[in-house]
Amino acid sequence: MSELTLPHAEERPTGTRLEARSTPAARKKVSRGLLSSLPVLVVLLLGFLAPLATVAAYAFATPRTFDVFRSFTLINFETIFDPANTVWMSFAWSLGFAAATVVVLAIVAYPIAWGLARVFGRWAGFVSVLFVFPLFVSENVRLYGWTLFFIKNGVLDGTLKLLGGAGPEVLYTPGITLFGMVYVYLPFMLFPMVLGLAMVPKELVEAARDLGASRLMIWREVELPLAMPGIMIGMLLTFVLAVGAVAESKILGGQSVIVATHDIEIAFTYAQNWPLGSALALILTIIVGALSLIALTKLDLDRILGRR
Amino acid sequence: MTLFSKRDALKIMGGAALAGPLVNMQSAFAARESELNILCWEGYNSAQVLDPFRSSKSANVKAESLTNDPTMINRLRAGETKVWDLINVNNPWARKIMHPEGLIKPLPKDEFEPFFAKMLPQFKAPYRWAMSDDGKDLLGMAQRFGPYSFVVNTNKVSRKTAEEQGWDLFNDPSIKGKYGILESDDWNVFDMFLIAGINPFKTHDEKEMEKFTETSKRIFGGAKLVGDIAAMNQALVSGEIDMHLTGGTYSVSPARADGHPELRAVTPLKGPIDGKGGTAWIEITSTVNNPNLSPLALEFLKYVQDPKVAHTVAFAEGTFNPVAQMGTKACFDLFTKEELDAIQYDSLEEEMSRCAEYDIVPDYDKALEILTAAKRAK
Repeated sequence: MSELTLPHAEERPTGTRLEARSTPAARKKVSRGLLSSLPVLVVLLLGFLAPLATVAAYAFATPRTFDVFRSFTLINFETIFDPANTVWMSFAWSLGFAAATVVVLAIVAYPIAWGLARVFGRWAGFVSVLFVFPLFVSENVRLYGWTLFFIKNGVLDGTLKLLGGAGPEVLYTPGITLFGMVYVYLPFMLFPMVLGLAMVPKELVEAARDLGASRLMIWREVELPLAMPGIMIGMLLTFVLAVGAVAESKILGGQSVIVATHDIEIAFTYAQNWPLGSALALILTIIVGALSLIALTKLDLDRILGRR
Repeated sequence: MTLFSKRDALKIMGGAALAGPLVNMQSAFAARESELNILCWEGYNSAQVLDPFRSSKSANVKAESLTNDPTMINRLRAGETKVWDLINVNNPWARKIMHPEGLIKPLPKDEFEPFFAKMLPQFKAPYRWAMSDDGKDLLGMAQRFGPYSFVVNTNKVSRKTAEEQGWDLFNDPSIKGKYGILESDDWNVFDMFLIAGINPFKTHDEKEMEKFTETSKRIFGGAKLVGDIAAMNQALVSGEIDMHLTGGTYSVSPARADGHPELRAVTPLKGPIDGKGGTAWIEITSTVNNPNLSPLALEFLKYVQDPKVAHTVAFAEGTFNPVAQMGTKACFDLFTKEELDAIQYDSLEEEMSRCAEYDIVPDYDKALEILTAAKRAK
């Protein structure tokens, strides 16, 4: 069939069209298109690339100066990669917290997403609003709220004391920082996951059941692979956001650990060293960018969807 | 009758289109007459302080509040001298850093020096921190000030014990896990030196830096939490901690005003800064070396000298502090007994006398690196 159709395809005036594309008139059309997109391109260049380029340029400026674009040195990176410098600990905490947040959220959000996509029916909208609503309140306010909940003689401890017990001492620990991150980033994992699960055709699940597949097999062989694009987007989004998280470790964690973004903040503020802060920010951007790209390459969405 | 051709009309419209932005540009420059930008610690950015000035001058006043001096100074160094008209930071920066670096410009002495006569006795002209190093130029105006060492819950540690033991209180291993550290890292550098028994405001030798390193690791390692003022007061009130450093009237006054007089700022009786153990801050507000400085900058500096406004500044939202203008009866009488109690006015004079004034640490950069590493290893 294809052998038959191909010559036909060649016979179509494709070649003519290609020729037409290369005529000066066509080139003019393309350039007009570019011209039309210029305003958007300029906005993107100025609003998106220019700040990134400035941060990158600052990373190579003389420490504790503002000689951006006027000086070039690798000393900021030498300082960061000096074996005596413990800044790697902050990066390890940030990446570790982000990875743990993704894992915990994948487990926590999946049943909720499944419920929203399959079980809650007409209540799904209402339940979604409940998860979206906290996003309208400032993150810091919500985290201070949790502090009041967990603090000594606070909501939890005070109530348990009335009942003759005592609340757990969880505040100001790395564990509560992770809790805060899981709480804050839940919607960012949940909704892409709901979209992913909504993409799974019910007919396929029913067909698998009719063919005798067990519940676990249906989940593993049908539901999970088909919902994977949504799950992957949720995981990636959550990871990227969580790597940059700082309020949770400051407010709930009582700075029991210093995360990478906090180190960047210290460099820009108390240390009066914008070039060092920029170098740290650039390294974090490269790490996160590289990890995201690797994740996207390794976990090919087309393969997950079974299109290859 | 004049006849316009279509071409003439287009010419005029084109000309107007070109001239339009220029007219706007001119008005943008003129707008500085009624525009004022203030870079300050919190309080000066509050509506209570700014709104009366805004309405009386029909001015567009913008104020950005930050909670540390180094960031504000760096904003000016990065080129924001074109943006700001007034900068409000602690005492050493105007005289030792901003004036030598050309970031601020002197005030007209004849207009502003008389205000110092109405301030508390220690601010009488020529007030050292308001003057340039050579003593010739007046660089800013003083207003809020206060002792700033540490805060204790007097139900857990008595004021007497805290004052007598001073910084050694934090060397006691039994308080591990019972204290917090305010996230003011510049002040924490002073405090780690003070706990180590070293004067912070000098160049330190290797042995002193080793001691500073050991102290920083130990003190940060033993802290229950590091956080902002709200976190410190919350932890003190709830009983999570018994004391915190760095702290003073500035940080504890909101909790005291909120019905917790048991929380008290303490100044050690003695210490390693020529016998003094406490550190005090005094805010100096200066005019920025803005090429297009708003004339309202000087007006605002005069406005906050008014007894009523000075009282509002003292009790603006955020933190409550004594003000130099309390030197006049008209201003002092505006303070209620509760307000005086919140700012610990009963011991203010004696505490200030036990304090050295906030100064630049010559090897601050190295010390901050050590302190940050200690925080990471906590």
